[in-house]
This record gives sequence, C-alpha cells and structure tokens, in this order.
Amino acid sequence: MTGPHGVGIGWRPEIAGFVAELPGLRFVEVIAESVPAAGPPPDALVELRQRGVTVVPHGVRLSLGGAEPVEPARVAHLAAVAELVAAPLVSEHIAFVRAGGLEAGHLLPLPRTREAVDVVCANVARAQADLPVPIALEPIAALFDWPDDELDEAAFLSEILARTDALLLLDIANVHANAVNRGTDPLALLDRLPLERVAYVHVAGGAEQGGFYHDTHTDPVPAPVLDLLTELCERHRPPAVLLERDGRYPPAPDLRAELDAVAAATGFPLVT
Amino acid sequence: MIELAADFDFDTWGVPSRTFLIIYLVATVVVVVGVLIFRRRTLTGRSAPPADQLGPQQVAYLTGGEDRAVWSSVSSLRSQGVLGVGPGGELTADGPLPTGATPLDQAVHYAASQRCSARQLRRTEWVTRALDQLRDGLSRHDLLVTPERRAALRLGTLLLAVMVALGVARIVAGIANDRPVWYLVFIVGALAVLTMVLFVRVPRRTRAADAALLNLRHRNRHLAPGSNPAYAVYGAAGTAMAVALYGTASLWALDPAFAQQADIQRETVTGGAGTVTGDGGTTAGAGGCGSSGGDSGGGGGCGGGGCGG
Repeated sequence: MTGPHGVGIGWRPEIAGFVAELPGLRFVEVIAESVPAAGPPPDALVELRQRGVTVVPHGVRLSLGGAEPVEPARVAHLAAVAELVAAPLVSEHIAFVRAGGLEAGHLLPLPRTREAVDVVCANVARAQADLPVPIALEPIAALFDWPDDELDEAAFLSEILARTDALLLLDIANVHANAVNRGTDPLALLDRLPLERVAYVHVAGGAEQGGFYHDTHTDPVPAPVLDLLTELCERHRPPAVLLERDGRYPPAPDLRAELDAVAAATGFPLVT
Repeated sequence: MIELAADFDFDTWGVPSRTFLIIYLVATVVVVVGVLIFRRRTLTGRSAPPADQLGPQQVAYLTGGEDRAVWSSVSSLRSQGVLGVGPGGELTADGPLPTGATPLDQAVHYAASQRCSARQLRRTEWVTRALDQLRDGLSRHDLLVTPERRAALRLGTLLLAVMVALGVARIVAGIANDRPVWYLVFIVGALAVLTMVLFVRVPRRTRAADAALLNLRHRNRHLAPGSNPAYAVYGAAGTAMAVALYGTASLWALDPAFAQQADIQRETVTGGAGTVTGDGGTTAGAGGCGSSGGDSGGGGGCGGGGCGG
C-alpha cells in the first residue's frame, strides 16, 4: 500500500484500453461513485492493481462543504471503495453539491468564511472517523467569489488543513483558473500554501472564453498551467501528479504527449 | 426346457438378442469414435495463427460474416476521414486510400468512389472479390471450416444414421417377435440423439477460431459499447476491432449521423460469439452500383456520372 507516486492519469471506462497500455504507469484515480460498494471493481482496475498500480478513489458527491452533516452512507461507500482497491488514501472536494435536499449536479464553491471553515472541518472529521485511510481535500475552481468572504484562498485552505489531519489535493489548473478569473497572482498562493501537505496534484486542460478561464477537463493542458506546475515543483515537488481528462478524448498519441508534457514539467519519469 | 426352445425358435433374424446386442454395441462404439475423431481433426484448427495476429476484418468475418467484415472496413475508413455520405445515402470517397489499407478497404473505397450505397457494398464485384479473398485466407489458416469439409462432416454423421436405422429395424422386428428390446431401445435412442446433435451442429468456425475470439473479446473489453469507448483514442484499428467484435452498434456509437445517413443496419450488442452468416452465395451484378443487386430501389442508387463502372 504505497502512496501515489509519479505521473498518473484519471481512469475512466472510456479510455480503459489506453490506460492499460501505459507501461510506466504507477498511479490512477477512479471516480469513487462509479464503483459499486459491494464490488467488484471494473476488471481493468483489478488488472492495474495486480500490476501494482496505486488506485485512489476520488469522490465527487460527498458535499463536505454542505451545511448539513455529511451523509454516513456516502462516507461508507467511499470507505468500501477504498477497501476494494486497497487504496492508500481517498480524495474529495472542498465544495457542496446539494443544499436543502436539492442536488446541484455540480461542485459549488463555498463562501470563504470562518463559519464555512467550521462546517468543512466538522464534515471532514465525520468522514475521517469512518474512513480506513487518510483523506486528501481538493479546493475547486470558481468563476466567482462570494461577497461575504472573510478569508483569502490561502488562509481558508491553510485553516482547514491546520484543523483537520487531512492532506491537500492541489489542482494546479484550478490555481491557474482562479488566478486568471480573479486577477490574482497564482505564485503568491503557492508560496502561502502548506506544500508539504500535498498528497498529489491534479492537472487538467481548460479553455479561455469571454475573458474567463474554464476548467473544462476536455481540452489540452495549456502551457501556463504546465509552467505553473514547474513553479510548484521548484518550491516543493509533490509525490505525484495526475492528469484528468473527462471528455473529447484526443487520439492516443496526443494523450501520451500530454502525459509526457506533465512528466517533463515535473521531472518525473515518463509513463508512456 | 420350453423357454430354451422358444428362444431358439423365435430369434429375430436368426441372431440371438444377446449376440446382436453385443455386435451392435461394438459397431456403434467403433463408428461413433471414428466420427468423433474425424470431427475433432476437422474442427480443431491446428495451424491457426494466434489471436493477436488476426486483423479486425478477419475477426469481423469470423464473428459476423461478410456484412460485419464490410462494416468493419467502413468504420475504419470513416474514422480516418476518407469515407463520406451524400444526401441520397450514397457513399463518397473523401480522400486518398490511407496507407495500410487492406484489399477490402480498397474495394470499399473504390465502391464509395462509384457512389454505391452502404447496403449495396457487399454486392459490388470489387467487394465480393475482396470478401472471397478474406474468406479463403481464413479457411487456409484453419479458422473457417470450408463448405466441403462441413459436407464431409455431415456425411460422417450419415454413418451414424445408418446405425440408427439398423437398430430401429431390429427393434420393430423384435417387437413383432415379442422379444425383449429395451436394451436396444436405450442404445438406439442415445445414438439417435447424438446423430441429430452432430448433424445439426456443424460449426462454421474452428475451435481455434472460437478460442481466438474469446481471447480477443477479453482483451478488447474496453471497446464494448457499454464502456462508451473513446474511439478517437483507439484510432482506426481500434474502431474497426470494436465493430468486428460488437457489430454496428459500435459504428452507430462512433458516428450516429453517418450511420443514419448511410442507412447502416443497427445491430443489438451480442454478448457471446455471433454466428457467421452466408458462404458468399450472392455475387455482383454487372459491376457498377446502379445495376448490381435487386434492392437498390428507393433513394439509394448512384449519383452523378459515377455509375456503371
């Protein structure tokens, strides 16, 4: 049960045949909600596990930022999937996906208030109590800030990490997106985050549209995001970096080139 | 004493029951073993190549016959952007033949340049010739069982049928003679069932081909339509293999607009090994698409001046 290491890719059924053929791959992520709690995991994931590839369940529906306590059944599901794939850790977002019984269908950003920090920390503690492995928290990209923000991004995240035992899943494309969309300096954020708490890093593609950067996961990774990744590694190289792609998949050579570019930006060995 | 005399007097055909039974049983075993050995030799496919040496079109022919081989080629050409479809459903060749094209690809590409419709493809002389070539190759490689060998297998089963007939005659005579026939009824019944099964089940694929397909299905599970595969990632070869293994459901998933416009039949996904249809009986008409086949009625047919090639 080793933690994630090196360059990984988000495992999706659509590209399972591509992922299976990556000779140097040591690490993938699977959307936790796509694996049934009773098992079995998809055959292709089982085969990756048998090859010694680390599989990290990535939750998207826990709603750690929701005002109501995190649902025990959802935590139990995440825990079950972690056991199924012998995961060294799980990850989830600092966001809410439902409120007042209404499903947003999206990850929604929290207002960065002290009250929100309390809510997140309470939910993380509840989740941790029932999870067999550590949890890494991922801040999300947001196109807007709430008007009643009391903390900036770095203070908000640092506070949550300080009060929970959680690790950080830093999405470098989100850092870029937030900086572009809010007109802030992404390097200043990196300088203030507890980088030694980073379990792994997400990198994904996006597109600029109408002056906003959209974290689409369906476009190539742009050069500024790769540059930011290099900047991060120069400060403190995370143990692992994972490429997320969720649609409009390119031909295999292009996808391999993306993985190679991530390896080049981080100094990790090629997985292709 | 009386029983003994009766036995002697009424032996059917002058052969005592026990003697007949033993001779019949031995003969049956010999014929059955012989037929099974012949069958095994014919169907094993000893010189068949390993699964990873089979191309998508070969696999398509093995799983779904001529139609599927054509669809596999169509999907490969389509995903390489050299096959289009016109407003009347006629195919168009939108670019030069890609490198690595198979003879079937060449034939389909040429037929498309002659503005044949997707459904007409199989009946054009170019495609028919390429399919014959494909089929001959599969037979030569011990993957398909030739019609001649299938006939030979059926002929072997005829020997068993003769044994059944003999047994039935003996039973009828035995009953007429009021002799016990139950042992014989049991043996002949079992033999009849076996004969029927062996006569009906004369596969078109060798066992080696079945094993290769099983292997390929396992290895290409990620191409199953249920996984919603990203065909762009897997390229033309992957797409052609998807259609080969899972039928036109994959072609519809790859490019629904093209599949609909070209009027390509939508197959439902089958889990197990499909059946090979037809031995290539239908042949082309006069060559060009307008004159080939009988079902080109409706809006299909040829456009422009490309007809009658």
